[in-house]
Amino acid sequence: MKHVVTIRRKALAASEEHAAKLRGQFSESGTLVLNLISSPGSGKTTLLEATVRRLADQHRLAVIEGDVATERDADRIRALGVAAHQVLTGGACHLDARQIETALDTAELLPADILFIENVGNLICPTTYDLGEDFKVAVLSVTEGDDKPFKYPAIFSRAAVTIISKSDLLPHVPFDLEAVREHVASLNPSGTLFVLSSTTGDGIDGWCDFLLDSLAAKRTP
Amino acid sequence: MHEMGIALEIYRTCREAVRAHGEGRLQRVRIAVGELAAIEPDLLLFGWQAVVVDSPDEGAELEIEWCRADQRCPSCGEAKDRSEGTWLRICPDCAMPLEVRGGDELDVLEITYETDDETADAASPS
Repeated sequence: MKHVVTIRRKALAASEEHAAKLRGQFSESGTLVLNLISSPGSGKTTLLEATVRRLADQHRLAVIEGDVATERDADRIRALGVAAHQVLTGGACHLDARQIETALDTAELLPADILFIENVGNLICPTTYDLGEDFKVAVLSVTEGDDKPFKYPAIFSRAAVTIISKSDLLPHVPFDLEAVREHVASLNPSGTLFVLSSTTGDGIDGWCDFLLDSLAAKRTP
Repeated sequence: MHEMGIALEIYRTCREAVRAHGEGRLQRVRIAVGELAAIEPDLLLFGWQAVVVDSPDEGAELEIEWCRADQRCPSCGEAKDRSEGTWLRICPDCAMPLEVRGGDELDVLEITYETDDETADAASPS
């Protein structure tokens, strides 16, 4: 016998329920949560190292690292005295909310002022998955080329913040910064853009001020 | 490619729905996918086949309803010259941010499933 049932349920509803639970948990602990998304090698971990060096004295920070294999990134953060947990996806190209729940159950990361989630290096798949974050941060290094926002529009239109990293290399590579500003703005008119170098420290202050302002805003009733 | 994971989530959602109504074998699943959902329909279909093969629902079909986004400029109306799948959020004529509605759908709309025994219905007086 044949039955037809109307469902009208989001395909990722189960995953989104987990993300909503996480968002509630982060709201309760007053934790600002960022989901960093970029291609591999854009300098996400180096940016986190520079950020942690700047903020860890005054604030309690935590990091969840997502990679296919190795503890390398979490080790780099732990070396700076900051709590870090490595999620190994074993091949999967993105993190999902269930993995964040498990990470929080496994490692002592909360309470924290700011939790950074460094997603698996990939400009496409992580875009679809809500991790309960306050906002997504897209990182684009100048060595990757200035055509990336238009080639991977989903992440640049959904990320509240875009970071142009490795700005110290601008004199050496063909990267039209003004064109990228324009492209990102046309994909995401309300987004914020930072240009910085984690190596020289240029622009890190503006980024860190933004984080602290966002934290204060989240904690303002 | 995250379509495989999404195919699996869709399958779980449908399985749960069948179970909620009793037991049965999935025949067809109709879903909505928006053009801005960052989903490649062919890859999703491929992922779906991989998910249902060797399962009790082997052969179940996935039917994708493609949903376009509606982008309107608050000052001059719809951005009519936009090509399919474009993510630009600025009106090409007056440089105003566009209002984007829809296009991000990823919803299970309807399932069709088959049950072997007709006792439940046969037993009920007609």
